[in-house]
Amino acid sequence: MYTDTVIEEKLVHKPKFLGIFLGVVFVILFALNLADTIFGHFLTPVIGDPAQSGLYGRFAVALVLGILFTLNIFAIGFLPTPIQSLVVWLELAVFFVSGFHIFNLSLEFIQSQLWFLLSRGLFTTIYVSAISIVLAFIVAMVGAIAKLSGNGFAHGIASFYTSLFRALPLLLLIYLVYLGLPQMGYVIDAVPAGILALTLNYGAFMTEVFRAGIESIPPGQWEASRSLGFTFGPTMRRIILPQAIPVIIPPTGNSFISMLKDSSLISVIGVWELMFLARTLGQKTFQHMEMLITVAMIYWALTIVMEAIQRRLESHYRTVKVNKA
Amino acid sequence: MKQLFKLAMVVLIIAIGTSGAWAGENLDRVMNNKVLVASTYGGWPPQSFLNDNKEWDGFDISVAREIAKRLGVKIKFETPEWDILTAGNWHGRWDISVGSMTPTKARAKKLSFPGVYYYTPAGFVVHKDAKYKDKTELNGKRIGATTATVFENYMKKDLVIDAEGAPAFVYDVTTTAKNIKSYKDSNTAFDDLRLGDGVRLDGVLSSVPTIQEAIKNGYPLRIIGAPAFYEPLAVAIDKGDQEFHDKLAAMIKELHADGTLSALSKKWYGVDYTKAAK
Repeated sequence: MYTDTVIEEKLVHKPKFLGIFLGVVFVILFALNLADTIFGHFLTPVIGDPAQSGLYGRFAVALVLGILFTLNIFAIGFLPTPIQSLVVWLELAVFFVSGFHIFNLSLEFIQSQLWFLLSRGLFTTIYVSAISIVLAFIVAMVGAIAKLSGNGFAHGIASFYTSLFRALPLLLLIYLVYLGLPQMGYVIDAVPAGILALTLNYGAFMTEVFRAGIESIPPGQWEASRSLGFTFGPTMRRIILPQAIPVIIPPTGNSFISMLKDSSLISVIGVWELMFLARTLGQKTFQHMEMLITVAMIYWALTIVMEAIQRRLESHYRTVKVNKA
Repeated sequence: MKQLFKLAMVVLIIAIGTSGAWAGENLDRVMNNKVLVASTYGGWPPQSFLNDNKEWDGFDISVAREIAKRLGVKIKFETPEWDILTAGNWHGRWDISVGSMTPTKARAKKLSFPGVYYYTPAGFVVHKDAKYKDKTELNGKRIGATTATVFENYMKKDLVIDAEGAPAFVYDVTTTAKNIKSYKDSNTAFDDLRLGDGVRLDGVLSSVPTIQEAIKNGYPLRIIGAPAFYEPLAVAIDKGDQEFHDKLAAMIKELHADGTLSALSKKWYGVDYTKAAK
């Protein structure tokens, strides 16, 4: 984050801004008409029966909520920046999660299914993604080197590969692998088919990332290595890649995070990962909304963990570079 | 780098090597492996669903287990999507479908149907608050149906049932192609219908037992009119193994004759659906 060195009066403490802000919030709330909601029920002593309160109720609810909201913003303005960010984050999370209240979910049912979702669904999601990302890493490394090499065949194959597999939607690719390979005589199971499709798709995108990473190493390194008599292989292995890999690792972590979610697409071929179970478990008692929301929360928690790891990875590789320099 | 590459190659080879199986003669494969691999789907209570112990349960599942028992083999369930299943060319991924499949003429080109094991009525369902009195009032309205099923075929006027004892039917309700709404499973269609009369859908065509199950679980729905048609529901296998076909055909006759199917139907539906409707 950039720290600003110019100290100004805080925007959220300027009376003019607060006034305009309150006005805008009021208009929006008034338009939404929240009289007959939980907010209206809090104001029942003032406005009477919320359903009967009409324009007055609508006006009162919008005004009270608007003032509360503006006061909240005003109060947060006093906090130091990191805490400010944390409070805003928590408030948004609470607001979002309380939205699920309207679905009237059965917590008992969620609890009874949670362990199975985690032990079977989350486990499958993670191991399928982990194998795929390792394989995609290898494919991308080979592809990037091929693209950068002077060999016309290697370049041709690699650029054909990235062109084709970046063009195919992942879902289509999954169907093609699962249904197409058996037509050619090899019957592939659902899990390997999913891993293959994810690998091919992510490998193609990561090839381009890796190529850019390798190209970010100054050409002087290459020239120096060649003039010392290193051939292509050792130059790549001993000079270029050791410098390029720290650049490449963070975006790979990023791909992994997005792969965790894209792996939900392989539910169409019957792999029991999170998404599949979300669509299957609640069906008997018609409680699929519970399962969908639970799984959404699991994906969210998973991504928060992965983002933390990703941040550590990034700072780790940044430190290494600084120390060496 | 070299080590990593080697490791990955080993993983890849193991992943591919242990997974595939080359297609062979179906019956031989079942008897040699001593496992009958049945395809099923989790979204069709009370035919097939995961029960509280996370085990497969339901009418179709019970019938599949009974077939495996009489073949003297174990049973294993796989969960491919319905449209992958009906597309045929199973390549030995699964041996049998006991999944309430209607033997239509189109499907008979891709699959082989050893026998019908029960018949269920298909009916139109509307929101509880809807004013409709008869299903014919749904003409031209937005009707939901499951993709690649007989219900969708019925709405498209493309339903030819290829089975003995299937009662004749007429297309009572018709609507424009644009107003046939396709869904991945029937529960999603019910979810859209429960939003209110005419919000996203005006009606859904589905299997009556499934509709009744939804109503039992608090869906604000109402069946209108007499059943649109009766679907004979058959066991399906991949094409090209006459021996397996004959063996299953004889077994299904036996299951009918000794009352096993009637008992299972009464257990899961409360009624005996195993006789052809008049």
